[in-house]
Amino acid sequence: MNSSQSLADGIVVEHVSRSFGQVHAVRDASLVAVPGKVTALIGPNGSGKTTLMLMLASLLRPDGGTIRIGGHDPLADPAAVRAALGWMPDVLGSWNALTVRATLEMTGRLYRMDRAAAAARAADLLSTVGLAELADQPTRVLSRGQKQRLSLGRALVHNPAVLLLDEPASGLDPVARVELRQLVRRVAAEGKTVLVSSHVLAELDEMADTAVYLDRGVSASAESIAQTKTTLRTWRIRSSAPAALLAALGAARIGPETIVADRGELLVPLTGEGAAAALLAELVTAGVPISTFAPAVGDLEHTFLDLSKGNS
Amino acid sequence: MNAFLSGTQVILSLELRQRVRGTAWYVLLGIFVVLVAIVTILLSIALTGFGVMGSGDAGGNIYSAIIYFVLLLGTLVAPALSGNAINGDRDAGTLATTQVTLVTTGQIVVGKFLAAWITALAFLAASVPFLIYAWLVGGLSVTSIVVSIVVLAIELGIVAAIGVGLSGIITRPLISIVATYLAVATLSVGTLIAFSLGGFAVQSTVVSTSSYGMTYSDSGEPLGCSPATTSTYETPRFDYLWGILVANPYVVLADAVPTSYDQAGNPQDLFGYIKYGVRTAQVTPDLTVEYDECTEGVGGYMDQGPTAQETIDSTVPGWFVGLAIQTLLGAGALVGAWARTRTPAGKLPTGSRIA
Repeated sequence: MNSSQSLADGIVVEHVSRSFGQVHAVRDASLVAVPGKVTALIGPNGSGKTTLMLMLASLLRPDGGTIRIGGHDPLADPAAVRAALGWMPDVLGSWNALTVRATLEMTGRLYRMDRAAAAARAADLLSTVGLAELADQPTRVLSRGQKQRLSLGRALVHNPAVLLLDEPASGLDPVARVELRQLVRRVAAEGKTVLVSSHVLAELDEMADTAVYLDRGVSASAESIAQTKTTLRTWRIRSSAPAALLAALGAARIGPETIVADRGELLVPLTGEGAAAALLAELVTAGVPISTFAPAVGDLEHTFLDLSKGNS
Repeated sequence: MNAFLSGTQVILSLELRQRVRGTAWYVLLGIFVVLVAIVTILLSIALTGFGVMGSGDAGGNIYSAIIYFVLLLGTLVAPALSGNAINGDRDAGTLATTQVTLVTTGQIVVGKFLAAWITALAFLAASVPFLIYAWLVGGLSVTSIVVSIVVLAIELGIVAAIGVGLSGIITRPLISIVATYLAVATLSVGTLIAFSLGGFAVQSTVVSTSSYGMTYSDSGEPLGCSPATTSTYETPRFDYLWGILVANPYVVLADAVPTSYDQAGNPQDLFGYIKYGVRTAQVTPDLTVEYDECTEGVGGYMDQGPTAQETIDSTVPGWFVGLAIQTLLGAGALVGAWARTRTPAGKLPTGSRIA
């Protein structure tokens, strides 16, 4: 698959904006999400993530800019976009009088499947999203996490090439999160384009291949993201010989006033990956026993915090 | 067209399964049947007391009363069942997930309208046993039965259309339900109020000239009459305003059903009497009343006017105009809902979310 093909099958957003009256929810968002990868959409509450998702889902008309989903324009050809797109909204709604199975079947019928095909697909999805035991319960008895899974199942009914997940893990317990992560990775491995939004960055760190940062309606440029790679970042170092570690850090010309002790570990600010690698080599050479040497915050969180700092 | 219908049908079955099917709804239907039964029994007893029962008139009266009762309850229930069809789904978070599928906004609106209509028609269906009873009691032509049921069904459809339409135009479910009730009240009661108040606001002066006998013969004939005296008084001009009543659902129903008369030219059911009343309003009042006892004879002013049958035959039916106005109203509401619910959405009403 060459790169032009993969772009045509994925999501391409260029300089999209949308305002509601005086509120500019999205000012200038650009992003590319390619098939086979999970792309994270990261931003604080109110940064315009959901508004952008709604525009991608063909529900909201952008004021400016262009959107292509699988090569289709949601304004010119919403039907083609909808056929290619699965959307899991951040709002949990379900037809509460229908059973879980009937909900999936109905959704299939709304995607123009015939009865038999919709029933077969619903049976498939029930096990995919782990709701087989609740299949014949009305959806109103589902817990929040179960409703999340039903919502995901609904988004997958027509086997879409592009999947939009808006805050998919909120309300899920740790086991369900792991299952969700595995499911999303599996969907991406099938060659589908997945865009996941969340403000829980640790969770996206485990799931996403690349990330798009959105702050106050503007997506961060590639340059500003690259810049964050060289800014000061805290690393967490653990050693069974704390005194030797401190001495070695002193020898590596790291000011003791910048070092913070935290639950038996030391937090050390370093500039970029290169500096970290050099320090680790130095410590090992000095014979300090190191059991942990890792960034204190995840990649996404570091970039995100650094970008917000730069903007304010 | 076929694709449109199949999508609409999916929405329809979804609506019927999601909104309608529930214990509460069956309880409501049960209460309705009980009420109709009570009305039927009371009417039968009352008409027996008047000696009408068994005379042929009874069936017509019971039948028209039941149909009116179904219309009343139908227009009371239909707004509650249809007035939050679209904005209620948006609040529940199920509208947007439907809109991202391959059904179009048109299919959603039409499907929801049909579901609301069918739900309202269930009330008509539940009253069928009582209609059959009234028919067995007698006094009704098949045409009257068919026409009244068809018109009633259309009226319920119009209320359903207004309800679903307003639920798409107005953001908050409670407000749209109330607005639907107000629309129904405007048609049912508002037209009556406007008609009667308007009639008294627009009055004309009647000039009445009369001359009475001074002396009478033994047989009571006037021998000589007084000089003519002139007096004036005001009379309401309902003939200018009868058009307002045309949009009233109860009037539409009464006006549409063919009336059967007894030998004196009087209508044989409730519909006929209301039709007679409404048609009388079309008649221009006589603005110069002259009475001369010497030429007309004693009591000439008490001359019998035209019979109900003559009045109805000489005036214009307005039910189709009323139906057309109401249909336009319902269709307009549905089109408005479609425009407001279309995606990708452009302008959103302030304070509303798409999902």
